[in-house]
This record gives sequence, C-alpha cells and structure tokens, in this order.
Amino acid sequence: MMVDAVATPPRRPGGIKRFIEAYPFLPALIIMLVLLALNGIWQPRSVSLVGITGLIKTYMALMLLAVAQTYVVYAGDIDLSAGAIVSLVNVVIVAVMASLGDSGVSVLAAMAIGLGAGLACGIVNGIVVAAFRLQAIVATFATSIFFTGLALWVMPVAGTPAPATFWRTYGGRILDVPFVFWAAALLAVILYLLARTRHALQLLAVGDDAQGAYQSGLPVTAIRIRGYAMCGVFAALAAFCITGDTASGDPLVGGKMTLYSIAAVVLGGTALAGGYGTVVGSVFGALIIGLINSLVYFVGTPSEWQNLVQGLAILVALVAGILIGRRARA
Amino acid sequence: MAKLKISGVSKAYGATVALSRGDLELQAGEVHVLIGSNGSGKSTLCKIVAGSVRPDKGEVLLDGKPVTMSGPRASKALGIGIFYQELSLAARRTVEENICLPDLPMKGPFVDRKTLSERAARYIALFDGVTGEGFSPDATVDILRADQRQLVEIMKTLASEASILIFDEPTSALDRAQVDRFFQILTRLKQEGRAIVFISHRMDEIFSIGDQVTVLRDGATIGTSRIADTNAQEIVRMMVGEEPAIAAQAQTSSAASGPVALRLANLSGAGFSDIGFEVRQGEILGLGGLHGQGQSSVLRALFGAGAVTSGDVSLEGASYRPHDPRAAIRAGLAYVSGDRGRDGVIQGRPILENVTPIHFLRNRLRLASPASLKRKATPAVEALKTKFASFAHPIGSLSGGNQQKIVIARWLIDRPKVLLLDDPTKGIDLSAKADLFALVRTLAAEGMAIVLYSSEDAELLSNSDRILVFNGGRITRELTGAERTRFNLYEAAYEAA
Repeated sequence: MMVDAVATPPRRPGGIKRFIEAYPFLPALIIMLVLLALNGIWQPRSVSLVGITGLIKTYMALMLLAVAQTYVVYAGDIDLSAGAIVSLVNVVIVAVMASLGDSGVSVLAAMAIGLGAGLACGIVNGIVVAAFRLQAIVATFATSIFFTGLALWVMPVAGTPAPATFWRTYGGRILDVPFVFWAAALLAVILYLLARTRHALQLLAVGDDAQGAYQSGLPVTAIRIRGYAMCGVFAALAAFCITGDTASGDPLVGGKMTLYSIAAVVLGGTALAGGYGTVVGSVFGALIIGLINSLVYFVGTPSEWQNLVQGLAILVALVAGILIGRRARA
Repeated sequence: MAKLKISGVSKAYGATVALSRGDLELQAGEVHVLIGSNGSGKSTLCKIVAGSVRPDKGEVLLDGKPVTMSGPRASKALGIGIFYQELSLAARRTVEENICLPDLPMKGPFVDRKTLSERAARYIALFDGVTGEGFSPDATVDILRADQRQLVEIMKTLASEASILIFDEPTSALDRAQVDRFFQILTRLKQEGRAIVFISHRMDEIFSIGDQVTVLRDGATIGTSRIADTNAQEIVRMMVGEEPAIAAQAQTSSAASGPVALRLANLSGAGFSDIGFEVRQGEILGLGGLHGQGQSSVLRALFGAGAVTSGDVSLEGASYRPHDPRAAIRAGLAYVSGDRGRDGVIQGRPILENVTPIHFLRNRLRLASPASLKRKATPAVEALKTKFASFAHPIGSLSGGNQQKIVIARWLIDRPKVLLLDDPTKGIDLSAKADLFALVRTLAAEGMAIVLYSSEDAELLSNSDRILVFNGGRITRELTGAERTRFNLYEAAYEAA
C-alpha cells in the first residue's frame, strides 16, 4: 500500500544504525583490533601474553583516566585537571608510603588517603563548576594549576621511590595471572555495575538537556558535582597504576595525560557535548592511543618524527571512527 | 475550597515584565483553560506553579495553605506535574527512560529496568494505536517526529501521577486522532478528581475539553468564566481587549485568472508522491489534511530543502529543478516555516540582519550601508505592523509573533514570484495571525502566487481560494468554491487514514 511508501518517518533507524546507537563503542573496537593486528604484523611478540600484559600495564592509568573523564563528559562538562589530580595523588601516596615504611598496611593506608585526595579534588572541581557556575573548561584549567602547585609542595622534585611492595604487586602475578589482568577484570565489573546506577542515567540526562533535566525535577547541581567526584576517584585509581608502573613519585607525571584522556573519550564514541556515550568506548580509546604509540615505535620511526607520526595517526583514528559510525548509520 | 489558588503573582526579567498580576483559582476535578495571546504570561504563570520560575511577588495557596515553590523538585513533591511547551526530554535517551526519568525505580543501588519498562508501558498503552510508525519504548527520542515527542512529554507528565497537572500547549503538533485520545485521558483524570490546567491556541479544543476558562492579556489575568456560559467571540474579545480584528471571512471565491506561476507534475520525493497542481498569480492555494501528510515535505522540496526523486516543476513557464535553497531564492521562491527556531530566525543577531539576508542574496550584495538597508527594510516591516523599538535590538527581544513577522518581512524587500507558507502561524498569537493573513491577501491581490499549508483548519478555510487535501503523501481531494467547508475538509482528511 502506498501509505507504507510515504509514511515512513524521515530518520527511521536501520538495524545496523540501531546497533551502533546501542553500542557506540563499536567503531573504537574495530579500530583497536586493526591496530592490534598491525602491531602483531610488525612485532609478533607484541601480541603475545607478555606483550599484552606490558601494554595494559603501561596504559591502565590512561584507561582509568579516560573512564574518569567520561563521567564528567556525560554531563556535558569537561575536566582539564584530571591529569593534575593524577600527579597529586601520585606524590601523596608515595610520600605517605615513604614515611610509613615498606609494609602492606602502609600501602593500604596510602591508597585510602590517595582515594580521599582524589575525591576531594573532584568535589572541589564540581563545586567550582556546578555550584559557582564557572565555565568548566576555564575553571578546571585553574584548578589544574592549583593541584599541580599542591603536588609540587608535597614533593618539589621527582624521584622519591615507591616501596617495593607496591610496584612488585602491580607488576607481579596472583595465582599465576598477571596482577593487571585482575585489575582489568575488576574494572570491568565496576564499570558494568556503575552503568546500571541511577547516577549514570542522570548524568546523561543532564548532558543531554540540562534545562530539561532541571525542569524534570532532577537535582542538576548535585548530579554534576557527583560526576566530578567520580572523576576524582577514578583519577586516583589511575595514579595508583602510574605509581605501580613508574615506581616513583613525580609531581608532573599526570599533566600531559589530560588531553590524551579527552582524546580517548572522543575516540570511544562519546559525544563531548554530553548526553551520549559509553565508558567502555573510552577504555578502547585509551588502548587505541597506546597501540598507536607502540606501533610508531615498532615500525621504527626515527625519534624526531615520532610525535608527528603519532599525531597524524590519532587524527586518522578519529576520522576512521567517524566514518565507520557514519557508514553504518547511512 | 480551591485546590490551588494563585493571587497577584508577578515576574519581571530586568525591564521586561513577563507577568504583572497573575490570578488563578483551580478546582479539583476540572479542566481549567488558560488562554491569551503570546506574551500574555500563560507560560510564566505555569512555570511559577511548577517551580521552574520564582515569582517576585504574590501568593500561592495549595489546599488553602500558603506554599513556596523553591524549584521543580519542591513543586513535584507537592503533587504538581507539568508538560513543558518546549519539552523537557533527553534526546539520546529512550522513550521509556524519559517517561520515568524524574522518578527512576530502583532495586538496591541499581535502576530497576524491569519495573521501569512496566511503568512506562502503562503510560504508552494509553496512546495505543495513535503513536504512529517508529514509536517504540526503546526508541531514542531524537528519531521521533515532533508529534511523537509531544506524546512522550505527555506520558512523562502523566507518569508524575500528580494531583495537579499543567499542560502548556500539549496539542500543538498532534494530529486529530492523538488529540481525541488525549482528551479521553483528560476526561478520565478529571473524573478521578485531578485538577488540570490546559493551554491551547485552538478554540475548538478549548470548547471540547474545558470547564472553566481564564483569560490573560499583557501579563495580567482579565477574568474567569465557565465554558458553558461563554462563547468563542466573547473569549476573543477578552483576549484582544476590543472587538476582534480577525477578518475570518471567506475570500472571494472567484479563483484568480492570472497566468500560471507554479506548476508541478508527478512530483515525488521523501514523504510525498505523484503531486501535481498549478498555482496562478494572485491565487492562494491551500494545502490541507491531517498533520504530517506530506504538505510540509512538498513545500520544503520545492524550496530545495528536501529531496525530489522524480517529476517536473515549472516556474512561470520555465523549467525549474529544485536542488538547493539559494538557487530557489534566486529563481524567485520564498519559504516561511512555522518552525522559526530551525528555519527562520537568526538567533542572537539584530533585527536588521534578520530582515535583510534575502536582499543580500538576491542582489549579490557584499557591502551595504545600514542606513540604506534600513530604508529598504522599513516599508517591509511596517506592512506587517511589527512592533519593535530599534533595528539594532536582537531578534530574541521580540515575541514569537513579532519574530515571525520579521522573518516574513525579509521576503518583501524584493518580491518573490511564489510564496510558500509552511504552517506560518504555529504558536503565534491571534492578532499577529490576523496581521499576517491580511498581508498575505494583499500580496495575492497584487499578483503574487501563494501556497499555504496550515495545521489550523479555520485559517486554511478562510484564507485559501482552493484547497488540496493531502493524505498519505498524495493529494486525495480538491475543494473549490462552496465545497470549502469544514465538513468536506475533515471528511477528505480522514478518508483512508
């Protein structure tokens, strides 16, 4: 009947489009697998168990920081201080462990304090942005300088070593499985559970239309502050990984990670404008960046060209992500 | 005792007074209609009750007790639910998530998806059969049509299960079947003892659902009467403040006999197929039928803003192939959309810039002095009795009706051959509508060919020389002369639908 021919709504989703809508991280997954294959071609050992363990060990921190950034981006905000929080927590836990000595209790105490510090930084960001209504991009730039200042006050120069208990655990094995795999599995469970909370849905609703969310009776300010608080906690977890990987304190270690975390979020298919995305995508985005960096190395790019090639490769990955998404949607 | 009593509330934004003295007495078990031209303060009054706008002065009594609405949350807790005219939906969330968003069902620390779906399904089921194609509980709101989104907002409001329900223009995008269903639901809610506030610009709706009507004018409550004791004329008189100036009288039925300005043959595209008609110079051709039957799609396609797959168009005898709006404008077409925000207004820019873009395009101007532009813009703006203080003020400082007048004025500096009006009066007040149609008739009398689509049947019937009724993307009937009656229009519109 002709009614069928013309009464179709203008943007009726096809099967694949619906699939991409439901799983916006698919393009990132595809790009990641392609990069993994390329790595394997140039350096077969990079896709061995040892190679993968090394990759995750090095990029676990960025994965966590990308997750941290995602919760803020969900609500249409941004956190330019995420990397500075990593630095601050890194030097705080190293300093605490240095003063309490090398023991399990000392490590746990330091981690508790580190999580507290991350949470506090997140809440400060949240209050400044959501309650004082400052522009997120400028306000968190300011707090990033402040947090870096605190980190430099805690530890003026890099180099204080972390106790062996800490980094041996991070680089070691439990029940013959590398520790980072346990950490990744735990992260997966936590992310799955968090995605089912009311908070995740509320963050997305605020990012979608803050005015609409307010008019629907959602506590918009509190929701945005909670988003920043989650960001702070995950940034602290990222700092633990960095500390485990580098085995020392460095007040500037996280600074350059901030923009990588934002790039990872975008690579993962999350909208910077807010309201749409997944944390899983951000994890893939972080791995894409990691795989690009290692590929550039394996291909044998001369050191003076590495930045240029990395930058271009990330651009290509961003474009590829958009093209895959668009093709599937057309 | 009144369920809700509002007395003397006011709200000003800087120098602009949105509401100077709002009074309203709402009883349980009634549908109370608020009516008034745009900018009369209806929406502000509603938002004060809903807590999203805080009044400067005044008193709100709920069940006889004074209350303060500190925000939407507080108001929700007091049992007040509101349908927002501009909608409050999260576009990337699903229909069912949106319905339950204000009050998510929880199971421990997690959202209880099963209960959420069940609860949403109850409200979706109320509109079973009229939600249209593509509507499903797990569809994201951004893929829905305007009428479907409005239904979701209605469902969301109903899901609040509030004892006071406020509907601020809930029917503006709905088709007749959807409105009928909505009214059945309202009637049931009324019997349950809920108190309902209903805003609409459509007189027939007001008389079919209302119990009481309160009229607002210029930010103040003028008066309240029982619907049974009043009539449309009296309400309009209260709204306008003087004898209504709506010349709603049928146009001369003598179809214009000028040369053919626009001819379509077998035109097909997205949303319409096999459309053929002619419009003569000096003629107003009406497109009618239920909402969304292809009328807008044809107009947009003619203007080059929508896809055409086959068929021919000729403009004053010369072949014309619509492909983009710039070319359409240069060819002598004009298009005015009811969706000002999307298609018309250049937000944040001065009024002068909003009047002149077509003049720039058609004359390939690169530089022009503001003084000469103002000279050219003034007669165009005056033809529509547009009220504004200065050409330098931003367009946002005007009411919806005046913004639309500015959008229309931009086509009048250099006269087009054919004017396409796509529901041009959506959401604008009665006096602005009257000004607009007076102008449209003048333009036709001067020889312009006009194609008018309106979702308001009265507007269409009183302003068109001829009406083509659309159904399912095709023209199913042509009404000329004495056939142009509401009965014939309804009959044709409902035919195969």
